[in-house]
Amino acid sequence: MNNTVLELENISYKYKNDLILNKINLKINSGEKIALLGKSGSGKTTLISVLNGTIKPTQGEVKLFNKSFEELDRKQKSKITTIWQDLRLIEDLSAEQNVNCGLLAENNFYFAFKNLLNISSFKKAHKYMKLCRLHNFIYDKKIRKLSGGQKQRVAIARSLIQESNILLADEPFNNLDPKLITTIKNLLLENVDKNKTKKSPKTVLVALHRLDLLNDFDKVIGIRDGKIFFNIKRNNLKKIHLEKIY
Amino acid sequence: MNKLKLNYTSLSFLPILVCIPLGYQLINNIHFGGFKLFQEFLISAFNPKIDNEIIITVIKRLNETILIGFFSWLVSIIFGAIFGIFSSNIFYKIFNIPSFIYVIIRFFLTIIRSIHEVVWGIILMQIYGINFSIGIIAICIPYIAVNTKVFAEQLETIDYKSFESINQINAPKFSSLLTLIWNPIINTFKNFGLYRLECSIRSAVILGLFGIGGIGTSIFLSFQTLNFRELWTYLWSLAILIILSGLIFKKIKFNTTNKILSIFFIVVFFLTILFSFSYFLYFIFNNNFENFNSVSSLFKSSLDLGLFDFLKLILETIILSLLSTGIAISLPPLVIGIFNNNSFKIFIKIFAFLLRLIPTPVILLTLLTFNNPSLSLAALTLGLHNAGITSKLLFTNLDIQDKRNYIAMKSLGIPKKTSWLLGLFSQQAKSYLAYCAYRSDIIIRETAIVGVIGSVGLGWQLQESLSSFAWQEVAIVLIAYSSIAIVGELINGKIKNSLT
Ligand SMILES: Nc1ncnc2c1ncn2[C@@H]1O[C@H](COP(=O)(O)OP(=O)(O)OP(=O)(O)O)[C@@H](O)[C@H]1O
Ligand SMILES: [Mg+2]
Repeated sequence: MNNTVLELENISYKYKNDLILNKINLKINSGEKIALLGKSGSGKTTLISVLNGTIKPTQGEVKLFNKSFEELDRKQKSKITTIWQDLRLIEDLSAEQNVNCGLLAENNFYFAFKNLLNISSFKKAHKYMKLCRLHNFIYDKKIRKLSGGQKQRVAIARSLIQESNILLADEPFNNLDPKLITTIKNLLLENVDKNKTKKSPKTVLVALHRLDLLNDFDKVIGIRDGKIFFNIKRNNLKKIHLEKIY
Repeated sequence: MNKLKLNYTSLSFLPILVCIPLGYQLINNIHFGGFKLFQEFLISAFNPKIDNEIIITVIKRLNETILIGFFSWLVSIIFGAIFGIFSSNIFYKIFNIPSFIYVIIRFFLTIIRSIHEVVWGIILMQIYGINFSIGIIAICIPYIAVNTKVFAEQLETIDYKSFESINQINAPKFSSLLTLIWNPIINTFKNFGLYRLECSIRSAVILGLFGIGGIGTSIFLSFQTLNFRELWTYLWSLAILIILSGLIFKKIKFNTTNKILSIFFIVVFFLTILFSFSYFLYFIFNNNFENFNSVSSLFKSSLDLGLFDFLKLILETIILSLLSTGIAISLPPLVIGIFNNNSFKIFIKIFAFLLRLIPTPVILLTLLTFNNPSLSLAALTLGLHNAGITSKLLFTNLDIQDKRNYIAMKSLGIPKKTSWLLGLFSQQAKSYLAYCAYRSDIIIRETAIVGVIGSVGLGWQLQESLSSFAWQEVAIVLIAYSSIAIVGELINGKIKNSLT
């Protein structure tokens, strides 16, 4: 099971004169469930943006399936999906249209066009919205009219509908009540079943602040001031580890 | 209040100082020969000619104007949106195209935009002869460039983060592009596109004055034959058209979730593109370029225009723009502030409406009844017309503004005019000035229209050179024109940035 899907080699990211990520080395193996811990401003969001190829690091190399992003084609790159901390939905589109945006990668231009005209099929979108406990009456509501928790779940549904093998989630439990948190956590960590025949292992990295949710993860990474302080199995997590990063 | 402080409020009033040189020249040029004519012109406003014959003419001419206006609007809005996409930076980001191409396209569009549709019209008429479709083409050329700019600017407002998130989905590039630009494009069309229809109808009227046809031509002919009662029939019918179209568009609500309507729009969209292209090809291959024999004539014809004359014309055009802008900025707040009561307000609103309604060449011709042609007269005309436009904006903004300060100041016993100035206008001044900066871009372009008729500046020279087929001079005048407009736009851009 130890095949590496994502790898960071000596990554640094500088913004003006601030060193936001500092010489990060990280290997993420297929099927791993990783929790990313660190206090506010420690660089979690930046790390996730480097991992999904949105930010180019100032130094070092990111490898997805042992290749750099430039060498990969669009289909391979679309194997990563992200739930952003600030959601990044399209405010003027409806909830179901936003969820359908997750399907853009596997469909052609005509699908995008139909989605905007509101004449595409929303069957799959509705299925994932239901899984996220979103109800009928918000399907065709504009994002700007939704509550914080509803928006959060639309963003999660948009990401899950991509059925990608690698999921990066940045504080996905924001704005959710305790019951929803359990539901969503299970959805995020659940293995995908795209081919209906076999469960393919899903690699998940979740940045979070809730230490009580760590139980379902295999690994914990602690980051502080843009540096990885520890990268260990969850069972080995001790109090001193947490004292180091908080 | 004993020291004049330079703030936005005083800056809105200071430009009225242009009235000193302006008034001086106007008084020196006064003549009383046409006083009776002027009187007749005014009286006829209340007594337009109405009979069966003229009503039929009005309907026929209005039809032509609406057709020119509508088709040029349709073509220019659709191509404006398309070129807007291709010159927006979101397009270059998604497709990883080097951005110098975008700089080149923008520069090219700025040049096209800097030349007024009347100038395009006059040039095209000289080349192809008078022709209905010349009107449409003449309006479309600068309008496409203007619309392109507006669409591109609206596309710049797309949040960079939503771009990143859609990009990260790794969809086909055209899918990502379409998904991101969809709403900005539709919103721009709703907020700006419909207003442009009114603009293109106005432009169709003005081109009519120069012989393209439609109600504008009738207006011009009736003025030429001093048939003022007929003139006012045309003017009032134009007013009704503009008011009606405004009302209709306020009622129309675009429902983008309506499938049949969406499909209808798409069909119109593609038909327009198809039609424009085939017409474009037809136009190119089916016209003998009678007067424009060959490009080489550009380099052959001897240049009658001396450098000194040329510089003088440029200077005249710049002064004309400055004087008109001064009037357009300061006159509305001054008049609204001084005559600040309800009955006067209605009077001012009607007067401003008339100034907007009556095409500038007609205002100029009217003023010529008691003043000899001069630079100041042309400036007054252009200034008044644009003051009609700026005052509409000022009225609208003052009406929706929170009036608590004003009421509080009045109840403290502060004089009404002072309370209006400090409690009401001062809060508007900044945005008003920003709008005026934008307006002055347009004024620079419009100097061409009054220039042709009032025999000042480059506009007049253009007419002269065209009628003697001196293409080299025409080219030089056009270059001078667009340089002034581009420099003006750069300066105004700086001013606007500092105001917003
Ligand atoms: N766009 C940006 N421009 C400049 N600095 C940035 C930008 N984004 C983040 N930073 C800086 O980078 C550092 C790390 O930010 P990051 O968002 O990665 O932290 P985080 O761990 O996700 O914090 P939080 O838990 O609050 O979300 C911070 O010091 C922040 O100020
Ligand atoms: Mg963060």
